[in-house]
Amino acid sequence: MIRVWDPLVRAFHWTLVASFVVCWLSAQVWEDLHAWAGYFAGALALARVVWGFIGGGYARFAQFVRAPRVILAYLGAIARSSEARFIGHNPAGGAMIVALLIVVVATVASGYALTTDALWGSSGAQRLHSWIAHGLALLVLVHLAGVALASLRHRENLVRAMIFGDKRAPAPGDVQ
Amino acid sequence: MKTMFALVALAAAAVAVGPAYAAGKCAAGPKSEWQPKSALESQLQTEGFTVKQIKTESGCYEVYATDKGGKRVNMAYNAQTLEKLDNAEAGEN
Repeated sequence: MIRVWDPLVRAFHWTLVASFVVCWLSAQVWEDLHAWAGYFAGALALARVVWGFIGGGYARFAQFVRAPRVILAYLGAIARSSEARFIGHNPAGGAMIVALLIVVVATVASGYALTTDALWGSSGAQRLHSWIAHGLALLVLVHLAGVALASLRHRENLVRAMIFGDKRAPAPGDVQ
Repeated sequence: MKTMFALVALAAAAVAVGPAYAAGKCAAGPKSEWQPKSALESQLQTEGFTVKQIKTESGCYEVYATDKGGKRVNMAYNAQTLEKLDNAEAGEN
């Protein structure tokens, strides 16, 4: 086994999951908690962005954020069941992370906008926030599917890896 | 046996008293029995509120308004009786 995910990456991930769940369940029902959890999620996302630039190894964006053509090529390889196993985030996973961070921030921003004098009570602004939040939920579902697929394909428990940080050591052909 | 009785009594008391805390409920009947939003809006305006939005929820109208002092208020009204509910988030959408 090799250590892949540092404590900050892991703590960030699961705290964000919890914040998202709290937000989803508290929407329209307990607005104070909903806003608090939302701002907390936004702060987490921003902290992850900073860590993506100053953190070590597999936490760095430079390590896993790839150009669109690389991402597309990787998706094609997945479709042909010939994609390589990555120790860090694979190109598709990297794209998902970037997308999730952007949409989390957009969700929080649209939620914050509803607290301003100009937009408080605005049905249009409420609908936009709801629309973005549902988009985030959809991304989360795709994320879960991707994690499941990669876990099955490469015969490892990626959820467990994100909890404990360790993965099976690289074999020939695995990308480090 | 005594503990059982005490627990049942406690549960019964909780059920009996419960509804008293949730003053006001959303309308249970069909939309045809509801009063129009405009009726609520007029009522609110005579009370001095500036209405930003009245949202239709399950049996309730959720109101986003500012009061005479400019303070934001969020209120819920039974769509049939236009009775104000204690809980502004009552008609969960």
